Amino acid sequence: MSLLTLLLVAAITYISRVAAMALLPPPAGRTAEVVDRLPAPLFAALAAYTVMSAETGPTDPALLGAAACALLTFRRRSMLVTLAAGLAGYLLIDWLL
Amino acid sequence: MPSRRDITAATTSVGLAIVAFGIIYGASATPILGGWRTLLSSAIVFSGSAQFAMVALAGSGASETAIVGTTTLLAIRHLPLGAMVRARMTSGRVQRGLLSWFLIDETAGLTVAFDQPPERTLLVSGGIAYLAWVGGTGIGMAGGSLPGVGPLAEALFPVLFIGLTALAASGRLDVIRSVAAASGTVALLLLWPEAGALGAIGVAIVTAVVGSRG
Repeated sequence: MSLLTLLLVAAITYISRVAAMALLPPPAGRTAEVVDRLPAPLFAALAAYTVMSAETGPTDPALLGAAACALLTFRRRSMLVTLAAGLAGYLLIDWLL
Repeated sequence: MPSRRDITAATTSVGLAIVAFGIIYGASATPILGGWRTLLSSAIVFSGSAQFAMVALAGSGASETAIVGTTTLLAIRHLPLGAMVRARMTSGRVQRGLLSWFLIDETAGLTVAFDQPPERTLLVSGGIAYLAWVGGTGIGMAGGSLPGVGPLAEALFPVLFIGLTALAASGRLDVIRSVAAASGTVALLLLWPEAGALGAIGVAIVTAVVGSRG
C-alpha cells in the first residue's frame, strides 16, 4: 500500500470528523430532535454490534456473560458498577469453562 | 449524575482496551505495511475500524481504490457521532475542529453520557485513547503480545456501551428505543453481517427517528 493511499485514508477520516463537528451547520428542527434522542439507542446498537462482531464470535460464553452481567446493573446507572459486573461475569465464566 | 470514579473507571477501561487492540494492530499490520508505516497509520488515522479494514484489504491484495472506498464508508459514522457531540458544545469552530481529531465511538459516548464540560471530556478521553492506540501499536510492532487479553479487551467494549446506554437513557422511552436498536442491530447483522458498524448506526438513527418524544 502506497504512502499516498495512507495519507488519503487519514485525510478522509479527519475530514469526516471535522465536517460533523465544525463545518456542517448545527442540527436544527426535526434533525436536532433526532440527534437529541440518538445517544441511548446509538450506544445500545454499538453494544450489540461489538458483541456480534467479536473475534471470538457472538456465541462466546465469556463475552455473553460479561454483557449479561453488565445488563443486570442497567438500573444502577453507574459506569463503575457496570464495568465491575461485566469484568466479573467475564472472568467467572472464563474460569468455569 | 455519574461520579468522578465512574468517569475515571470508564476512561481507564477505554484506555486499557485500546492499548490491547493497538498491540494486536501493530503485530498484524507490521508484516503488511512495514514498521514505520504501521506506526504512521496509527498516528495520523487514529481509527481502529478504518485501520484494521485497510490492513485486511491490503493483505488480501485489494486495489488502493477499494481501500480508499472502504475507509470512506467507515468514516461516514463520524457524521452522526459528531452531530451528537457538537450539539452539547459551546466552543467556537476552530476549537471544535481541533477537538474533532479525538472523535471515536468511545470518546463520543463518554462525552455525551457524562454531565461534564464536553470539550474537556473529549480532550482528556481522546488524548488517553490516542496515546493508548499509538503506544499499543508501537508495542505490537516491537513484538509485544498479551496472550489471552485480546478476548477480555474485546468483551470490555459491549460492557462499556451498555454502561453508556444506561447513563444516556433518561426515561422509559429511551429504554424502549435502546432495546429496539439493539434487537434491530442483532437482526440486521444476522441477515447481513457486512452491514457492520455503519449498519448499527443506521438502525440507531431509524430508531431515534421513529420513536416519538414522551
